[in-house]
Amino acid sequence: MRANQHTDFEKPRGVSHVEVRHGYAQVHVSGIAGNLTRERLSILRAVADSEISIDFLKLTQSGLSFLVAEGRSEDIEAALSPLELHFSIRKGRSIVLVHAVNMRDEEGLIARIVRDVILSGATVSHIGDMHNRMLMVVDSAEAERVADQFRESLVEAAR
Amino acid sequence: MKIKVMKFGGTSVATAEARMTSALRVISAKEQGFDPVVVVSAMGRRGQPYATDTLIGLLKEIDPTVGPDPRELDLLIACGEIFSAVIFAHTLKTLGHPAQAFRGGQAGIRTDGVYGNARIVSINPASLVKSIEGGFIPVVCGFQGVWVPPYNPPGGELTTLGRGGSDTTASALGAAMGADAVEIFTDVDGVKTADPDYVPEAPTLRKVTYDEVAEIAHLGAKVLHPRAAEVAMKFGIPLWVKNTFSDDEGTEIVPREDFPGRRVTGVTHTGKLVYLLFDLKEASEGERTVLEGRIYEQMAQHGVNLFMLNLSPSGTGFAVPRSQYTLVQDILDGLVMPVGQAIFLFQIGGASREVETQARLLEPLGPIKRVVAELTENCTMVSLVGHEYLQQPGVFLAVLETLIDAQIPVLQTSDSDFSLSVLIPESETHRAVKLLHDRFELAEVR
Repeated sequence: MRANQHTDFEKPRGVSHVEVRHGYAQVHVSGIAGNLTRERLSILRAVADSEISIDFLKLTQSGLSFLVAEGRSEDIEAALSPLELHFSIRKGRSIVLVHAVNMRDEEGLIARIVRDVILSGATVSHIGDMHNRMLMVVDSAEAERVADQFRESLVEAAR
Repeated sequence: MKIKVMKFGGTSVATAEARMTSALRVISAKEQGFDPVVVVSAMGRRGQPYATDTLIGLLKEIDPTVGPDPRELDLLIACGEIFSAVIFAHTLKTLGHPAQAFRGGQAGIRTDGVYGNARIVSINPASLVKSIEGGFIPVVCGFQGVWVPPYNPPGGELTTLGRGGSDTTASALGAAMGADAVEIFTDVDGVKTADPDYVPEAPTLRKVTYDEVAEIAHLGAKVLHPRAAEVAMKFGIPLWVKNTFSDDEGTEIVPREDFPGRRVTGVTHTGKLVYLLFDLKEASEGERTVLEGRIYEQMAQHGVNLFMLNLSPSGTGFAVPRSQYTLVQDILDGLVMPVGQAIFLFQIGGASREVETQARLLEPLGPIKRVVAELTENCTMVSLVGHEYLQQPGVFLAVLETLIDAQIPVLQTSDSDFSLSVLIPESETHRAVKLLHDRFELAEVR
């Protein structure tokens, strides 16, 4: 037993680190005119039937958006083309992940991160949140710069 | 020393009979050669005399419109655990096993200075070690610690750890004392695949990883607090969730490498939320960026918690806790934002009298662009939690198809490495949890 020890236990409050994951393509389907809900399902079915994994699904006002591995861009195009919907595939996308433990319990923390992200001037095409991280989709060319900016403004601010 | 930390939740210490059952478990551990360190929650749940909610109610009774000071509130609600620890220690004594009660600070638990939601920064368990060496069973108040401010007041300032804080106390004490095991005793058999109130046949998971249990806990399962799982994971402490009132073996929580494999772990639900979807189509791209920045600035300034964010060329959206919705409405409804030459007027849901008054007042200045937030009240978040499973092709489809085929509207989604969440109307929570539990055959999980 280790008595009389002082040990750091819990993760520190606020943003702990920023990470970048490269190698994604962003698929954005928009302008669905018919039954939006059913059309969304038919899109996801076509993607699943092609054995393509997706990440970061977001429902938009006239369609949906998600990420696939960049190497599956041609497969996703082949899967969606027969549906005759308006879609775009943007290769060269990265996810910037801002990690902060229990962030949904920290009043205003998520809003502060989003505000800083938007005001940083980075072109963020999508954003999402879980209990311990925020995810932002950006151009790969911008990703490291954006991540560095966040490291400076968010991680340092938390210390 | 062969330390076993045993934490007993509210129902395990609520009555004399329950305390006796819990105390006998402690004695049994001692007879098996362990040195038990007990951690207790306040006695009982909402409505019972010494439960935390009951103590808070004493302040509300004075004047519900005046919020208590966080420092004073912590002093009050920590009393629940002090009562509980003293009574539990005395119960052990009556059974022939000398015991000593300790406040969090006396147990050496130091925290940061955030009243009501403090984080443990260090533990010096010397007093607990001395107690064990003296032949006592230490009984520690969960949920509390001491912050030592720079001006160093004698004894420091009492702080509480926030929701589920007693679990965190147990886990952290286990780490500080190099425990052989930490056992969290509650009134269910362990971690289940879903809330048994919604899915009575939901089985108890025999083994889960720290990651999975933290995810399940973050996303609504109330059986173990996620901070406790995170501390146990960081220090590799063997962790169990068990039922005080049954001999079920419970759930063992282990490192990822000890329980590999692809699986769905469970379905959870959490939150009473309001979803706001801002239509920014009237704004140019430059204006949209400014407007979004200001919306989030307002939310940040007022400490609003956001969930299920979405940002797209046509607008932005998020959910807020229902308890904070009135604040959001007060901030945004009728808010006027000039951006360059344009004037934007915010409207939350249908046009209120305030919004129409603002519009009339602004008329002389030229055309006003409205930013209307579509409002969906009474939402909740239902999540599928899994291990190396959710990235498989077709999982999103299976979740959405299951819900949509049952006419359950899905307002937004969110996903991580371990979970996939959907925002749905709260009235559909029961059905959604049951349907997903059935769809992923979780009744078969062991």
